Amino acid sequence: MDKSRQTIVMFWITHIGLIFFLYPADIIDSLSVGHWCAVLLGFSIHIALVAVYTKGLSYCAPQNVIDLFQSVGRVFAFAMLLPLTLYLFLLMIITVRAYAEIVTVVFLGNTPLWTIMLLFLAVSAFICLLGIESLFRTGMLVMLLFFPFLILVVVLSFQNADWHYMLPLMDRDTATFAYVLRRPFLKSMFAFIGGFLFLGFIPSRISFQGRKIVLSSLGLIPFFLVSVYVPLLTFGENTASKFPFPYIAAVDTVDVSWLMFDRVTMFFMISMLCFVILFLSLAMWMALLLLKRGIPALNDPSASLLLIAIVYSVCLLVPNWSAVERLMWWNTFPRYYAAFVIPLVVYALGMRHRRKEPVRA
Amino acid sequence: MLLVVPNPNPGQTNVNIITQSGITINEILDKIDRNMEKKVDLLHLKVIIFERSVAEKGLSQSIESFMRARDISDKTFAAISDGPLEPLFDKLQSASESSGTETYDYFEKNAGWSPEVVQTRIWEVFRSMNSFTRDDVIPIVKPGLSTTIESAGSAVIRNGKMVGVIDSEESLLYNLFKGAGTQGKIEVMDHATVKIVADRLNRSSAMQKGRAIMKGKLRLKVTVLETVGSPTEAQIKSEIDEQLSAHFEAMLEAAQAKEADILGLGQYFRDKLSRDDLRQWRTKYYPFMKFEFKVHVIIQDEGLLKTNN
Repeated sequence: MDKSRQTIVMFWITHIGLIFFLYPADIIDSLSVGHWCAVLLGFSIHIALVAVYTKGLSYCAPQNVIDLFQSVGRVFAFAMLLPLTLYLFLLMIITVRAYAEIVTVVFLGNTPLWTIMLLFLAVSAFICLLGIESLFRTGMLVMLLFFPFLILVVVLSFQNADWHYMLPLMDRDTATFAYVLRRPFLKSMFAFIGGFLFLGFIPSRISFQGRKIVLSSLGLIPFFLVSVYVPLLTFGENTASKFPFPYIAAVDTVDVSWLMFDRVTMFFMISMLCFVILFLSLAMWMALLLLKRGIPALNDPSASLLLIAIVYSVCLLVPNWSAVERLMWWNTFPRYYAAFVIPLVVYALGMRHRRKEPVRA
Repeated sequence: MLLVVPNPNPGQTNVNIITQSGITINEILDKIDRNMEKKVDLLHLKVIIFERSVAEKGLSQSIESFMRARDISDKTFAAISDGPLEPLFDKLQSASESSGTETYDYFEKNAGWSPEVVQTRIWEVFRSMNSFTRDDVIPIVKPGLSTTIESAGSAVIRNGKMVGVIDSEESLLYNLFKGAGTQGKIEVMDHATVKIVADRLNRSSAMQKGRAIMKGKLRLKVTVLETVGSPTEAQIKSEIDEQLSAHFEAMLEAAQAKEADILGLGQYFRDKLSRDDLRQWRTKYYPFMKFEFKVHVIIQDEGLLKTNN
């Protein structure tokens, strides 16, 4: 059965959950003029990778990434998937820790971090244990419930925009792509990469068309641009670079007298957190799949308990925000591995698979 | 520091005023918290009033701490008290009939705001502190004789420091520039009194021989409320033009002399100057900028009486 729609919704949720918090700060840090250029560059890399990945997957259709790698050889699969597992673990640790910190900074000032982190992990583990189908269905529900809020907040966030801050569009620094190797830009790629790997893991009974995924991801461009440009237009570059979460700060300035809540940010945060929890359970589901393949003795609940225990205890060991940032920087290398090597290898194996197929028939 | 705390009881509302002093705002809050039976939560803080002497010394540190604090909303209004704070707060306490929200109502658009009063929020001051091309004004208030609060113009803030004052008429022009709306403002002139019903401002900027030139055309729609003698329509129009242009030029000159770009005119030169030049906007270009201001008046109607043409 074609489940393209659900897959697209999941794809959107995982990305939107990542965009609005850390991404704008990274982009604003990496260059001072012409931010659209960096956003679009990152996005074109993203779209190219998604296209390669889905193409490769469609060549070896019923197999998922793990089966595909195992068909080459056990050692090969182990060597390929170990960095990916490491990446997923780091991703979960960073996401839980960073978003817990964001929640305390933005609205739960007096709640201890450990409770928020425990809540995140417990909810996402629960969703993930119910299986991938229910995860996807939850995604549909969350999208229906919270997407209208999100759109409302995105529209309202333009309230204080001063369009002159858009200018100048370009300068020498931007035009020569000098920013590409800067640390903040390299870090900013996390928003493009974390979200699409799951496409290779979902079982064949949830089938999707790669072309539709690629097309639908084009719809994410406005969100990437809005997340960077709303703070820039509201505060100007000099001020926007002073905020750790520029988009949240920009939404904080929105004053709507007819809304029942004084701060629109609450609306926004709560819908975002639902997206993030779904993203987390998806990452957890992928990690579980890898873990169970690696250690076949584990069953579902025990594997997930092990996983939560590891992630939670590492999260508790992270003392402060700068440690989170360091972790994010460390995760850059496994991230680029996951983003570039996995799709390209999948594509290569898919090509080989397709060439073999007619001979066998 | 003084805090006005509305204390709602069924039937009537009292206002408590808490006073405490200290070096930093957080230290004061901590002291208040220690001595109070309730917890101080500033989430619903609506207006912050600074004493003039404090504003003249510089607000940067306070504004930054407000922005950093997670419980103070960035949308809180900023205001400056012309004299010491105590008389103003005494007045607020003695005149507290509407549940202690006078200061907020005074600035709130749906309540008692009027176009001569500037609305400035904490985040706008913060933005101007870091901007090359934009300064801000903060409204000045003082205890009124018959009303609780009286407007005393606005303070010109440059890099977080109060450097000058503009009067109410000039504040109106500032609001006009900011697009805050001047509807309902009444202009009194020698031969007529008119009410502004709609306004629109077109601006264009150019650089000529290293000098910034700006053209502004203001279109006003007014309705006649009162005439003295029997002025013609053209006479009324030219009077409005003269009056507003004179005010505008006076304000701009005063602001230019202080190198404070309160109208954010540098914004219009962002694409015409390089980033390094923009850094020097306040000192190198702004004071020598030429502004051609034109007013175009449309008299929409003359009320229920005819005037002669």
